[in-house]
Amino acid sequence: MQLLSSPIGKQVKIVDVTTDEKTKNRLQNIGIIVGGQITLLQSNFGDLIVKVRDCRVAMNKDVAKHIIVEVSNEEVTTDQAL
Amino acid sequence: MKKSRQTKRCDIKVALAGNPNCGKTTLFNALTGATAHVGNWTGVTVEKLEGTYRDRKSDLRIDIVDLPGIYSLSPYSPEEVVSRDYILSQDADVILNIIDATNLQRNLYLTTQLLEIGMPMVVALNMADCLRANGERIDIKELSQKLGVPVVAISALKQKGLKELMQAVKEQKGVEREAISFISSGILKDSVDEIMLLLEDSKHKLFESVKLVEGDKLMEEKYKSLLTQIKEIKDRNQEAQKRYNGNFETCVADQRYQYINDNFSGVITSDKEKPAISKSDKADKVLTHRFWGIPIFLLIIFAIFHLTFSENLFYLSVVIPDGAFKDVNTFSSLFVDTEYEEDEEGNISGANSIKSPGVFLQGLVEELGELVNGAREVEDAVDENGEPVQEVVEEGGWIPQLLKDAPDWAYGVICDGVLAGVFGVLSFIPQIMLLFLFLTILEDTGYMARVAFIMDRAFRKIGLSGKSFMPLLMCFGCAVPGIMATRTIENDKERRSTILLAPFFSCGAKSPIWYAFAAVLATTVGWNSELTVFGMYIIGIVVAMVAALILKKVSGQKGVTPFIMELPTYHTPQFKSVTIHIWQKLKHFVFRAGTVIAASTIVIWYLLNFNFKFQMVGEESSILAIVGGWFEWLFKPLGFGDWKYIVAAVTGLIAKEEVVSSIEVLSGSVEAFVSMSGVTTAGVVSFMAFNLLTVPCMAAVGAASGELGSAKRTALAVLFWILTSYVVSMMIYLVGTYWWTVFIFAAVIAAIIVAAHFINKKRFAKEEISKNA
Repeated sequence: MQLLSSPIGKQVKIVDVTTDEKTKNRLQNIGIIVGGQITLLQSNFGDLIVKVRDCRVAMNKDVAKHIIVEVSNEEVTTDQAL
Repeated sequence: MKKSRQTKRCDIKVALAGNPNCGKTTLFNALTGATAHVGNWTGVTVEKLEGTYRDRKSDLRIDIVDLPGIYSLSPYSPEEVVSRDYILSQDADVILNIIDATNLQRNLYLTTQLLEIGMPMVVALNMADCLRANGERIDIKELSQKLGVPVVAISALKQKGLKELMQAVKEQKGVEREAISFISSGILKDSVDEIMLLLEDSKHKLFESVKLVEGDKLMEEKYKSLLTQIKEIKDRNQEAQKRYNGNFETCVADQRYQYINDNFSGVITSDKEKPAISKSDKADKVLTHRFWGIPIFLLIIFAIFHLTFSENLFYLSVVIPDGAFKDVNTFSSLFVDTEYEEDEEGNISGANSIKSPGVFLQGLVEELGELVNGAREVEDAVDENGEPVQEVVEEGGWIPQLLKDAPDWAYGVICDGVLAGVFGVLSFIPQIMLLFLFLTILEDTGYMARVAFIMDRAFRKIGLSGKSFMPLLMCFGCAVPGIMATRTIENDKERRSTILLAPFFSCGAKSPIWYAFAAVLATTVGWNSELTVFGMYIIGIVVAMVAALILKKVSGQKGVTPFIMELPTYHTPQFKSVTIHIWQKLKHFVFRAGTVIAASTIVIWYLLNFNFKFQMVGEESSILAIVGGWFEWLFKPLGFGDWKYIVAAVTGLIAKEEVVSSIEVLSGSVEAFVSMSGVTTAGVVSFMAFNLLTVPCMAAVGAASGELGSAKRTALAVLFWILTSYVVSMMIYLVGTYWWTVFIFAAVIAAIIVAAHFINKKRFAKEEISKNA
């Protein structure tokens, strides 16, 4: 599932990032990385605001459509909200 | 560590490194007493800044270097390279890593990379007080133990813990710290160790080895000859290959985050459950709403203009009866409009509006100017042949009274030259400052980063991205920092386009021109001055948009920088950082009025009153009139083929405030400048637009030249600005005079865009063919 279509407010797990290397590097630096958790907060026609490790990140649709997520089964614990 | 530091005057050199917007510059200002600009968005600092901290007790001199914010040591944009190169150069004795306590994990991502460089390091845990307010605590001892370096809790904003921090820095100087890596236990250990063996002479073996595993481009460039060996080593690491599909960059990042998660989760303890949706998120639901976001932004901007430029605050004249203020005393008339009209039946209209703070302050300074230098007003008179003419009449003023008996030239150079010119500029400073104040407040709250996000979509259509928004917004203040801020844009073509558009965003120094002419247009053709000023900003924005579209088509630019931006948490504007910023700007403008502008008014006054034979003559046969006259034909199509207009526009190259001050020197007042020239209203608007769009002041051209990087590109940029201003002004004049020409211009612009589109299509097709062949 693309991050674009993930339910708003629900924490999901990133399973793949298919952007070019440079953008991927940027996403990694800011904390968006395969295996990590991400929560979609808002979608403006595909431009997103997401929550990653307690910080808010805005990205446009071209980036967002390359982030593939799945609904995680793990319990959301408080320390993950760090 | 090198110990040969005797040649340097400082005792310790400290490099400030940390994530964007974690408070580095605030700390830098607090330590050094400097007043560098701090904003609540990422990328405010684009160059390294240096300052000095003096330890009073030991009289130690500690030099502090503030670096642009970085998320990691794998740089992504040009200003991040500055930081990495500086840290690796080992010019500093100690790395001071600032960590935003409210965002610990993400900040530690950089910290663990800094630890891989074997340099003395101190961690400053900033905003720990904010964390406590949230009911959370960080175990500083444990954090320090785990990182292996001293950790000091500070509040850069409240200037707490700074002494302790500097003490820790002093103690760390010269300490041999071994580079440590998170990698020591994970699946990458063998690969890193093996590559380290290859890098015998390197100063930063561990760091470089990790970067080579990661596949860092700059590092691979450096070790070209070893690449095959490195590849072999990486290929041998079956486990990493399998788990990350051969992507070692992801592998390193993942392992690093894993390590941080495993080791540092316990450092933070929380008393209460954190709400999933914070106050900031709630505000964002409204302010970045997909439909309301942009209208709200426009409304805010309009409100700012209203408070700064409106003669009729909150449109209260609707409820205040006509003539309410017609008999108020002089003092009160600073606050309200006292002018009214009376018709034959004795009905009074007007004198019922309240001035906005901006207009009030402007009036105040203007009064002061009149007190000192007298008022100049245009009055009807008759010449020696009995023909009605207009002339400038002077009234009162301390200095003119004082110089009554002085020689003509002395009176002229002081009253008509320096004082008229300098006060012409000074009276607009309150409004410029007010505009700055509002924009700084908006920026400091963190709202502007959101606007970049909501504007991204629109910007993308014209070949820019939300990344261009902050630099361009800064240009409303001053184009120089705006142009420098374009460094945060990664895509080169997009960055250059943004620099070219920068002058179209009317800077603070240009606003006196709009305000002065808006006041004249209000009396001559009855235009609402607030709307006239607002209109100039709009013209700039519209021209920028069309120009961006044309640039996109002409340069054949494909794709723009992907937009990824951290949104800072909203906070109430910090009184201190806002006032510091405003104070800096104020000093800058007053200083310029007192130096560059005062000096050039003398030159202009001289050129206006003397001829080539150094004789004092009437202005019609002065040097300026003669030289300006040579170019009148060039500006005829723009509607202001009058030498005085040309002179005023050209002096704007020195500084844009100069336009108004030149006008004051040339004609005594802007009103006289317009009414005595015979230039039509369309011509006046065309003149305003010309000043808005043409080559910016020398300082901005210098900044653009620095960022564009070559003389050829700078020359092209200047040509672009001249062309744009000439064409647009001509359009305004012609459409204003013959409205139907609007169709011709629309057709021409459309044709250019369509033509460029098809030419590009062909070009791309050709490129495709040559690629395939």
